[in-house]
Amino acid sequence: MTAYIIRRLLTVIPITLGVLLLVFFIYRVIGGDPAARLAGKNATPQKIEQIRKQYGFDKPKFFNWQEAAKTGSPAAAFDSQFWHLVGQFAQLDFGKSLQSNQRISRMLADGVVPSLCVTTPIFLVELSVAIALALICAFYRGTRIDRTFVVVSIVAMSISGLVYIMMGQYFFAFRLRWFPVWGFESPAFLLLPVAIGVIAGIGGSLRFYRTIMLDEMYQDYVRTAFAKGCSQREVLFKHVLKNAAIPILTNVVVAIPFLYTGSLMLESFFGIPGLGRMTVDAIYTGDEPVLFAMVFIGSVIFVIANLVTDLLYTWADPRIRLQ
Amino acid sequence: MVYYGEGGDIKGFDPVKASDTETAAQVCKVYEGLLEYDYLVRPYRVVPRLAVAMPDISPDGLTYTFRIKKGVRFQDDPCFPDGKGRELVADDFIYAFKRVMDAKTLSTGSWIFAEHVVGVDEWAKASEDQSKPTDYSRPIAGFEAPDRHTLRIRVTKPYPQLLWVLTMQYAFATPREAVEHYKDDFLNHPVGTGPYRLKEWRRNYRMEYERNPTFHGQRYPAEGEPGDREKGLLEDAGKPLPIIDRVILYNVREYYTRWQMFLAGQIYSAGISKDYFNKVINQDLDLTPEMSRLGIKLHKTPEMDVFYIGFNWEDPVVGGGKTLEEAARHRKLRQAFACAINQKQLSEFNNGRVTPASGPITPGIAGYDPARQYPWRFNLDLARELLAEAGYPDGKDARTGQRLRLTLDMGGAGDAEMRQMGQLMVDFARAIGIELTMNFSLQAEHWRKLEHKESQLFTSGWVMDYPDAQNVLQLWYGPNESPGVNHCNYKNPEFDKLYQRILTMQESPERTALSQQMVDVMLADCPCAFLYHRLLYGLMQPWVANFKPHDFPYPNTKFYRVKPH
Amino acid sequence: MTATAANSAALAAKPQTLWSTAWRQFRRNRLAAACLWIIVIYVGIWLYAESVYWTAYLRDVVPSYKVTDFDARNAAPSLRHWLGTDFTGRDNVAQLIQGVRIAFEIAILSSAILIPLGFLLGALAGYFGRWVDNAIIWLYSVVDSVPSILSIISISYVVGRGMKGIVIGMGLVAWVGLCRLIRGEYLKHKQRAYVAAARALGAGHLTVMLRHIAPNVLHIVIITFTLLFPRFILTEVILSYLGVGIANEPSWGVMINDAKQRLWLGVWWELGGATAAMFFLVLALNIVGDALRDALDPKLKTAEGSAT
Repeated sequence: MTAYIIRRLLTVIPITLGVLLLVFFIYRVIGGDPAARLAGKNATPQKIEQIRKQYGFDKPKFFNWQEAAKTGSPAAAFDSQFWHLVGQFAQLDFGKSLQSNQRISRMLADGVVPSLCVTTPIFLVELSVAIALALICAFYRGTRIDRTFVVVSIVAMSISGLVYIMMGQYFFAFRLRWFPVWGFESPAFLLLPVAIGVIAGIGGSLRFYRTIMLDEMYQDYVRTAFAKGCSQREVLFKHVLKNAAIPILTNVVVAIPFLYTGSLMLESFFGIPGLGRMTVDAIYTGDEPVLFAMVFIGSVIFVIANLVTDLLYTWADPRIRLQ
Repeated sequence: MVYYGEGGDIKGFDPVKASDTETAAQVCKVYEGLLEYDYLVRPYRVVPRLAVAMPDISPDGLTYTFRIKKGVRFQDDPCFPDGKGRELVADDFIYAFKRVMDAKTLSTGSWIFAEHVVGVDEWAKASEDQSKPTDYSRPIAGFEAPDRHTLRIRVTKPYPQLLWVLTMQYAFATPREAVEHYKDDFLNHPVGTGPYRLKEWRRNYRMEYERNPTFHGQRYPAEGEPGDREKGLLEDAGKPLPIIDRVILYNVREYYTRWQMFLAGQIYSAGISKDYFNKVINQDLDLTPEMSRLGIKLHKTPEMDVFYIGFNWEDPVVGGGKTLEEAARHRKLRQAFACAINQKQLSEFNNGRVTPASGPITPGIAGYDPARQYPWRFNLDLARELLAEAGYPDGKDARTGQRLRLTLDMGGAGDAEMRQMGQLMVDFARAIGIELTMNFSLQAEHWRKLEHKESQLFTSGWVMDYPDAQNVLQLWYGPNESPGVNHCNYKNPEFDKLYQRILTMQESPERTALSQQMVDVMLADCPCAFLYHRLLYGLMQPWVANFKPHDFPYPNTKFYRVKPH
Repeated sequence: MTATAANSAALAAKPQTLWSTAWRQFRRNRLAAACLWIIVIYVGIWLYAESVYWTAYLRDVVPSYKVTDFDARNAAPSLRHWLGTDFTGRDNVAQLIQGVRIAFEIAILSSAILIPLGFLLGALAGYFGRWVDNAIIWLYSVVDSVPSILSIISISYVVGRGMKGIVIGMGLVAWVGLCRLIRGEYLKHKQRAYVAAARALGAGHLTVMLRHIAPNVLHIVIITFTLLFPRFILTEVILSYLGVGIANEPSWGVMINDAKQRLWLGVWWELGGATAAMFFLVLALNIVGDALRDALDPKLKTAEGSAT
């Protein structure tokens, strides 16, 4: 088991390296370096050259063969933009934002709490409501109630999240004045964004959990349980929910990285100073170190979450072989 | 007395990095320089701030001597030995100027001294050495402090813009203790001599300032323009500044959210976007009765900026051309395009928030003449004629019969207003048979394309750093080509020669005439089609007093007053 | 009586293929059948919009939906303009109709990238296993672990904004789901008897992979396409909000984002129109996609997820 965990942990390295390579390739190799932007609007070519040197943009992109040949040490080949980035990230040093000049580690630390304040309630409420409704669907499977829920959830899924946000802010905050329009002062400010987030996401999760529950309903053990004379309720809560726990947990764990990245649009519209808004700003302004960091951390958490799911599986169901 | 306003994303409080107006506005609340703009008097003039008086300038125009006020203290801060602010001395300026030139601070402001002040370029070169920290004890010949309160600046050739640039945030006094104490975090801990100090800052959300108790007695100006007294702008004359005790600024991202907050009285000022305009402003470009009833005040001011569509001089279709014949044809094509732009419609689209531009020189600057006519103003017949002469009758290439297709690069993606404006440009070009494709990209990409001379046509603008025509004319100076500011990559020896002349001339009618001559030279070549200057329509809550629109408004919060409401 | 008998005889005579049983099951789902009609109507509108676009293109004139009327800009709904006009006086209904064209073009072109890519990589991974499998798993893990919006923006940054960027971006990101499913199927099928038989008869790997196994997993492609189509439409809205969407043609995302500026003035018809046009298509596709999945492969687990 330990060997398996270690082996799986090691897979994190090639994947994050791949992610870094991908992002680096797109932004730095094809996109060019941001030196001129950093030099400001009155930039002179000398100033740009100076900045390029300070940031190391004048170094080769991937391998510094020239330097290696000159000094004769193979290590010098890694004196390049990409490997410097890798080295920096390995020490969890993400550098500074090009736009706000702040340390990115600090921006991340500041932004993660507001983001979690929005995404965690959304996630928990959505999860519990969706599972409750999915149980109802399973209970009444094949009847009109079940079908109505399915159709309603598909309807809810078919509207753009942006429309939910705009309409929600317009009607409930601006028109009816039930909620504050904008801000991040007290829990009251979170009610509307959370409600909108739940409504926008509930359709998809209800449909997902319903499928899981129904899959279980048609398993042999359920038939056996019914044959033994268990009531619907007993079967649902004792057997189905327990067995559905694994796919539900999987889904929960895989959703965790998205809690961290925050909600791009909700944060932008409701003035929540979180990581989602930070990412949107970084996209607009081409703040590549911030994007690098967000993508890197997102992918590390994602890979680890996947690892946790695998472990959960083996723990919950010993029949699954570790390969 | 509290003032609630809005503040955008800023680059931190380090004066050497305050490259945008938003950051400048915040830096100027805490830091100060030798000079500042007069708040009320127009045309703009500089007045002493931390200097006792305007500098003594040597007859050859090469030496400036400033005397610095005595008894000015930095705000109290833990970075000083006993937590008490130290007295300001001339060396604080020299230290700040060195930081601007230091390659390691990556300042965006080194252009204000580079190539002008004696010895700065060598100093900057030496600071590039990565292996050791920059040596601040190494002197710069052009910056000297003969005594604690005297500062002497020596320039290599006459530099009439020096007094303008010394009002800019780059030239603000910075205490060495703070930089060394906070190191990387200096940008979050401003320590200045200014009217306010930063109390709390939640990035991307909220900034709070409070009155700096050790602020030295600056008083509200007693002199203004004619009419200022009637507007009540001189009621507070002689009162100590700042008048408002606390300033709270929110960073609101979406425009209409901001607008809502303004209507609810949560913030005290707001700009007006195109789509709210009709709701707020009536046909005569005044407030609607509804707004007037609320007591809201409207401020209209021409802004010192110019927006244009540039042609890349190196493009094979619209550029300067390789042969004389080609150059002539391409010039006609550019002129045709410029003539197709309906500036009036553009202004209507913006609900009159812009005035058509007749050239690069913006209103309020010597050399601007409202009577001058733009040679390439909207004229479809002329445009078609020029297009035919350029070899594209009806927009089709006379040789191949292919329709002429051009690409317009625009920045500021995500801004619906920008995209809509691009749509208008497409319509304008189509009217003379040119098929224009707009290429809408994020600001960063747009910049990259300009740097690498990859655009064909592009939209761009310039907000003036100081009220002098030279500041905008540098946009067409040949040696400034991309990645410098000359994104058109325009080259014309005659223009360049004139530019070099005005660069070192003191302001005079002769210089103004020369800059007008430069404009004529440039307009004939038409390296860009001018669009408009913006008019700032700002709304103020009725309880804000002492507000006067200003083109360089960064430190102005200290003059405002909030009436009880 | 005789007719029915003949029918059932014909039915009995016809082999019960996967497709015919599925079709019968699908038809029993009335809601899905109705939604199929909605999709047919949208296809009709799409073809009409294409004809408008191409006629104008071939004649080298300005297409009717782009003709501006500056004096009639921002008009309220009227008999002439059912949903009013936009900021240059173009009819909003005509814009919505062109939006259908853009939505279909995005979905079809993106699928033209992602389906061959996902299918081929999935097939290779599942069929050959070992290092091929490992390499492809690595590849899709990398793509999967970057938030999809960020990768689409990054890709379109490289290939150029607008239609091209969106299509290539979505195509190069969305193949992962299909690849996973196809890989799983190939893993299963590779061990079946018919594959061994084909191999024994001397069929090459490529033949087995594409001739013998592929037809048995083709239904997954169809299900994936129907379920991804609505995702493409919804993603386009977000991309437009972020400013990396379509610029030169009217798209629903652009319309929604334009509408957001004027919603506060009580201009609901722009937002309402675009939302409704989008809603019916997305709804119909979702329902049909679900029904197809139930009919063709009820055990298939396709990914779900919201995109806020």
